[in-house]
Order: sequence, then C-alpha cells, then structure tokens
Amino acid sequence: MVPPIAFLGMFLLLPLIRVVIRSFAEPALTVTNYVRVFSDVAYMRAFSYTLEVALSVTALCLLIGYPLAYAIARARGVAQKLISILVLLPLWTSVVIRSYAWLILFQRKGALNDLLLSMGLVKEPIDILQTSVAVEIGMVHILLPVMVLPLVASMMAVDATLLRAGRILGARPLRLFLRVYLRITLPGISAGCVLVFISALGFFITPSLLGGAHNAMAAVVIEQAVSVFFDWPLASALSTVLLLITIGIYLAYARLTGGELQVALK
Amino acid sequence: MSPSQRAAWFGAAGRVALWAYTAVILLFLLVPIAIIVIMSFSDQPYLTFPPPGWTLHWYAAVQDQPRWLAAALNSIRIGVPSALLAVFFGTLAALGIARSGSRWAKPMTLLVLAPMMVPHVIIAIGLFPTLVDLRLINTYSAVVIGHSVIGIPLVFVTVSAALRAYPASLDLAARTLGASPWRTFMRVTVPMTWAGIASGGLLAFAASFDELMLALFLTSARTETLPRMIWDQLSFALTPALAAVATLILALSMILLGAAAVIGSRKPTPRRALL
Repeated sequence: MVPPIAFLGMFLLLPLIRVVIRSFAEPALTVTNYVRVFSDVAYMRAFSYTLEVALSVTALCLLIGYPLAYAIARARGVAQKLISILVLLPLWTSVVIRSYAWLILFQRKGALNDLLLSMGLVKEPIDILQTSVAVEIGMVHILLPVMVLPLVASMMAVDATLLRAGRILGARPLRLFLRVYLRITLPGISAGCVLVFISALGFFITPSLLGGAHNAMAAVVIEQAVSVFFDWPLASALSTVLLLITIGIYLAYARLTGGELQVALK
Repeated sequence: MSPSQRAAWFGAAGRVALWAYTAVILLFLLVPIAIIVIMSFSDQPYLTFPPPGWTLHWYAAVQDQPRWLAAALNSIRIGVPSALLAVFFGTLAALGIARSGSRWAKPMTLLVLAPMMVPHVIIAIGLFPTLVDLRLINTYSAVVIGHSVIGIPLVFVTVSAALRAYPASLDLAARTLGASPWRTFMRVTVPMTWAGIASGGLLAFAASFDELMLALFLTSARTETLPRMIWDQLSFALTPALAAVATLILALSMILLGAAAVIGSRKPTPRRALL
C-alpha cells in the first residue's frame, strides 16, 4: 500500500498543493492573482462557458446514450458483443485524431456542407467550425461511451420479474418505465452524468481545435496563460478555481448518492 | 385490432425503432474514423470528400519524414514503461484497498482515482516545477512519471473489478494450507486477476499513447510523442499525410483493442493455481 501512495503523493498530491500555494505566493504573498481572475470578464466568461458546455454535453450524452444503453442491455449474444465493441471503439482511438476528423467534416468546403447542400437543406455553406455546436458534437462523440458504460451496467442489473409484476398489476408502458425502470437505473444515470460532466470540465483538445477564440474553455485559457503569456501565478489561480469546481461537483455527487463513485471500464 | 394484437404491434415497432436508432448512433460514432481512413488514401492535397482518386502517396510521404518515425518510437519508449509502472502501482493499490478493512481505504481510493477526475492541464502545471526541481524535465523520465500517474487509476479499476469477481476465501484457503503470503499471491491472486492486470496495462499504454497535455508540458523536441507532433502539424498544415499517420495509429489501436478483448473474454481458472 505504501509504494502507490508515496508515488501519487509525490507526483500528484504535492504538485496539486503546489499549484494552490503558488496561486497565493507569487509574486509575493498575495490575492492579486484571484483579483485578476474574478475581475476579468474574459476569465469569468471562460468558466461560465465551461460549465455551460459541460452541462449541455452531459444532457446530450444522457439523452443519446440511454436508448443506446438499453439496446445493448436488451441485445443478446453476438449482437450485444458487436454493438459494445463498436461503442467502445472510439474510446480506443486518439482524441486528437477524432477532433481532426471533425475539423475535416465541418470545414466550409467539407463533407457535411456538401451533404447539406446536395440535399437542399441549406442554400450556401454554413460555418460550423468555431461554434459551440462543433465543440459539443466533438465532445459528445468522445464522452458518449463514458456515459453508456455505467448505464449498461445498471440496466443489466434490472430484475425482469419486477417489470413483469408491474405489467401484471396493470401499469401502462410509460408508467412502468417512469416508476420502475428509470428508478432502478438511477445509479447508472447519476454515475454516468457525473463522470461525463467532470471529464468535460477539463477538455482541451476538442475546444481548441473546433471552438473559436471567443468561446474558449477553462483548460484552453489555462494552457494559454502558460504557453503564450508565461504567467504561471495566474495559471495557478485559474487552475485552483477549476480544481475547486471539479471537487465541488464530486462532493455534491457523493453527498446526494451517499456512495463513492463506481467506475467501470468494460 | 384487439388490445393484445395492438400490444404486439407496438412491441415490434418499438424494437425496429430501437435498432434503427442504434444504427444511426453507431454511424455517428464511426463516421469520423472512417473519414480519416478514406482521406489518407485520397489523391488530393486538399481535404475534399469524397476524394476523386486514390493513392498511397501520403504513406510514402510519412515514411520519408524521419520525424514521424522518431515520434512513434518515442511514444512506445514512453508508453511501455508508463504502463509497467501503472501496473505495478495500480495493482498494489487495488490489493491494498480491496483486502484491508482500513478506515483509510476511502481517502486512498479517492487519491488513486483522482487522476481520472482532475483536468490534465492542472496536473501538468503542478508537475512541471516538481520535475524541474528533480532535474528530470525534458528527459524521458519526466513524461513517463506523468503518464504513469494517468495510468494508475485505469489499472486500479480493472484489477479491483477482477478482485471483486472471486472470493477472498481462496487466498485464505491457500494460506491455511500452508502457502506463504508471497506464494499465495503468485499462485492464487495473480492467476485469478491477471486478465484485469493485463487489460489495465493495455489501457494504461493506450492512455499514454494518446495523451497530449502532459506531453505538451513535459516533452522536448527530442522526446516529443506522436500526439504532440500531430498537434504541432495541425496548427500549420492540414495535409492527408496527417490522415495517413492517424490511420496507422488507428490500426495499432485496433490491434490493442483486439488483444484486450481476447484477454478480457478468458475466464480465470483457480485450477492452474492449485496444481
């Protein structure tokens, strides 16, 4: 037990503590860095935009993922294996490469515009790149498997006799779904949502490739603070705020569900 | 229609709708990957779709640029030790937490899972000065350390699942029959959990192979990885050569995924441990 704790203490916990200390200690003992973060409209906008995108990506993943997970849980044998593999396939393909693929698809002269034009849905090419839509599509594509895995696990655990009992007692399908199925799968829903939301908060590649300068997410702003402005104290303050948001969401989840997060990778 | 007929009709219609929906979503998941593969064989220097003709030119172009090969070798040189370190620390953590009723189990679990939750940019900003102090920055060790931190929770999760899947009484039985703790570990625990250990290791390798943020902070021109080089190329030239590189990486990922699937489908046998 000692080696992993020592290793993570040294190379995860101490570095994180160091980020927090640095945000208060440079250039001197100060709160200047936080004054800069909270008084700058651009930084506040980056945080509110990050929360906005994380929220809509989580909602989209749940809406799209729930029926998909149901299909996987209902399927049998080869079909189930095949769908699971196809859903997990993107999890194994590079995030940089997939964002690059969307970059190709979304270009003004890209495949999507060709398709829309030829179907007569639009009169001239539309600009999808540099919009929130592009960022959200790219992120849903990456995070959908993260939502589907816990959903499938919770659906597999549904006892079919409960549903039969409900049906025999005269519940209509919608009522049966809302009162029985949805409630039993609630742990999967909450686990999937919190995993997707927390992952979305730290996204860097997709928003910087597909999003515009006017809608930068927190991780993009933090990276720029270092790579463009070499302002480590400011980057540390921004990081501390993002870290606190992440921890806050995790604690809210732990408080609401009363349990620790169950993470499954298969 | 009688009520039962109507119910059957709705049931069938619902099933068809569900399968159609699943097909559409799978298409959404697979289209970007397919686009990359198709683009890599396109004979146009610009990214047009569908391509008017086919060529292997871009693969030759990749082969001609030694920087790609160097980056690929770096990725493997960094991914393998990162995965091994992650397996070592992740397995120890899973064993320690699963088999101890300690009241520290919960905070320790949080620490081990934290790299999955904390945005990588924050880890990078904290690790950079730490590794500067240790005079490791710009060495292979720097990014290997960073990537093993990312890999540990992946191994921890898969090994913990494997540990939950067999009763701890098997270990106890071996101990009662006189096996030393080490022998019990090697002859019972490892054979029962090796699928979890191996798939965790593969996941950790894949995570390192794909990781960009820590690589941006912790690698130099000499140790740059494939994702970092792709990232640099993206900012000034979008050529199908990138798609060719991406396709080669995809092929490697598929091999890893296949390996993980084969390992995952094998059932652990206590028999091997007992003989």
